[in-house]
Amino acid sequence: MDHLLVRHAEENNKLYEKTELISYLFGLYFILYLTPKVKIPFYRTFVVMSSIVTLEQTIDKVLSESQIEFVNKIDSAYNESLNNLESSRSNILQEYSKIINNAQKQSESIKRQIIGASKISARNKQLLLLESAVNNVFVKSKEKLYVLGKEKGYESMLYRTLEEGVSAIQTRDIIIECNKNDKNLITKIINDFIKKNINYKIAVSDGFFDFIGGIRVRSSDGLMSYDGTMDSKLERVKPIIRKNIAQILRGEE
Amino acid sequence: MSDSINIEYTKIAEIKGPLMIVDGITQASFDELVEIETPDGEKRLGRVLEVGHGKAIVQVFEGTTGLAIVGTKAKFIGKTMQMPVSPEVLGRVFDGLGRPNDGLPEPIADKFLDVNGEPMNPEQREYPTSFIQTGVSVIDGMLTLVRGQKLPIFSGSGMPHNILAAQIARQASVVGTKEDFAVVFAAIGVQYSEAQYFKRSLEESGALRRSVLFLNLADDPAIERIITPRVALTVAEYLAFDLGMHVLAILTDMTNYSEALREISAAREEVPGRKGYPGYLYTDLANIYERAGRLKGKNGSVTQVPILSMPADDITHPIPDLTGYITEGQMVLGRDLFRKGIYPSVNVLMSLSRLMKDGIGEGKTRSDHSEVANQLYDAYSRSQEVRALAEIVGRAGLTGIDLKYLDTGDMFENNFLKQNLDENRSLEETLSRAWEILSALPESELTKIKDKHIKQYYRHQNQQQSTNVGVAAAVSSSNAT
Repeated sequence: MDHLLVRHAEENNKLYEKTELISYLFGLYFILYLTPKVKIPFYRTFVVMSSIVTLEQTIDKVLSESQIEFVNKIDSAYNESLNNLESSRSNILQEYSKIINNAQKQSESIKRQIIGASKISARNKQLLLLESAVNNVFVKSKEKLYVLGKEKGYESMLYRTLEEGVSAIQTRDIIIECNKNDKNLITKIINDFIKKNINYKIAVSDGFFDFIGGIRVRSSDGLMSYDGTMDSKLERVKPIIRKNIAQILRGEE
Repeated sequence: MSDSINIEYTKIAEIKGPLMIVDGITQASFDELVEIETPDGEKRLGRVLEVGHGKAIVQVFEGTTGLAIVGTKAKFIGKTMQMPVSPEVLGRVFDGLGRPNDGLPEPIADKFLDVNGEPMNPEQREYPTSFIQTGVSVIDGMLTLVRGQKLPIFSGSGMPHNILAAQIARQASVVGTKEDFAVVFAAIGVQYSEAQYFKRSLEESGALRRSVLFLNLADDPAIERIITPRVALTVAEYLAFDLGMHVLAILTDMTNYSEALREISAAREEVPGRKGYPGYLYTDLANIYERAGRLKGKNGSVTQVPILSMPADDITHPIPDLTGYITEGQMVLGRDLFRKGIYPSVNVLMSLSRLMKDGIGEGKTRSDHSEVANQLYDAYSRSQEVRALAEIVGRAGLTGIDLKYLDTGDMFENNFLKQNLDENRSLEETLSRAWEILSALPESELTKIKDKHIKQYYRHQNQQQSTNVGVAAAVSSSNAT
């Protein structure tokens, strides 16, 4: 709409300019005709009039051409500005979507990070608590095993351990290491063993050993030893029974 | 295994490099675990390499520094090295021998698995055919990884192979299913900064809780490196075949592993093979690489991406050479692309995924995937030839079509290959970028693509220009929605 109004105003201006030019030429001729020093004959007046018409036509032509050119220029400028606007709009949209995407990505990443880290942290705390509870169970078990050492089956267990140890280290000159509470019991067991296996020379070590129970069978040259202590047996089964203890503590069994 | 449970020996005959020779052995078995106590009371682990004539050769994982012939005790445990496994291993960090390295206790084990693994029954193997999306265009588009495949990355020193591996680990997913996905990462003799980068990158992406890390750093004992890939793969097998997860096992750097093997071989005075590596390097590597795959009747899979840095970028070096015989293709990182600042600097012309053809196409990825990949290979190969020609005759001496190929090569490197570290591209986007590049060539040059696909996806010049506007409009409308 604005565009049409502008064009209409332009056309009016041109028409006004043309009328003004013609009236100016007539005025000029009239002044020359009346001036006494400049005598212009009548026939020349006719010639002047006809050349004015030609001039008028030329001016008309120039004006219409320039008008077309002008309108075309306006049109192309208008289209260009529309294109510019369109392309800048798409650029803006691209930039906008880029910014939004980046922000979304970033927020997703932060969200994932926070959720992941908190889940791992919670799980780790649970693991530490569980481990401390499992260790407590083992400490209590050791205390109980120390007391159990005085019970019936303990003597036969020590005898079996002695047999295993002797068989494992394959030597006849042997030293037995045990805790001080078990010394008398071990001496009795060794005597029983030697009665059955006469070729063995077995002695009880004088050293102080802090086992819960059980014995360590060592060759007298010290090159080889068999660990049959309850401590080492407990350590050996610890990884296996940890799962059962954890299940009980978790209330799964 | 022998009955030598808890027998301790104190007669150490010799200590040589990473090996310790124990004398007076009555009962010991090959591969048996040995607990070594130093004169200071420090405990180390080892394993029996050879037994005979009353002697056992023990390989000490933590090295023999500080060990003495007098006062050192070796206790033969009576079992092979085992790794305690349970679902709790996910999100944990272990050292190269599988001991916790994150300040937490040992996982409460469901099972104890031999780190040497169970060999897969070839009859029970299932052929890998399912696509894994890594979000990296060059891999998804041209070197597609499939579940159960072993696809190594051949790299060089200083190249960003670990960054690429971390990106794959962060982004890898099984598209279109809700099946569980896990990452097992074994760092073998890597720098502390690299290990930290990997850990941090998994933490930041939230992928750590579905990952297990085994870290043997550059300053850790070299001999430990023999065990690191084995414990990592033991856990990977457990997650895959016991828990039914799809596991991506990344082993970096297998060159360090092979060097540890060479060190032991030299200490054992074995006859050296090429470049001093033992003659059994091929068999040893195969023992590791062949632990990837799928099994009939099991849901999970183990996909391996071993990384190895080629000494002096030499692809004929024994390690990449032998690896190439065992694995199903390779991704080669190119020094030239790296120098041009292109990441990931995968030299596609030297790379190949042998199982790609079975993991892509209709119903798996997209019907035009294979053809597009072939055409891209072809176009990039031609562009490289033209580049070489242009260096001699100059750009002015090239024909019109040669110039188009030259531009296509540049577009391929900058729009397809080049990617940001955190850019996770969908397969659709990857293929769309591929078509954008191929559309820069005349239709008549696309000889490897069926007409119907050209008709469907080829973008004519005016279409290409309007693509950006179209994309922006689509984005704005989706945002408005």
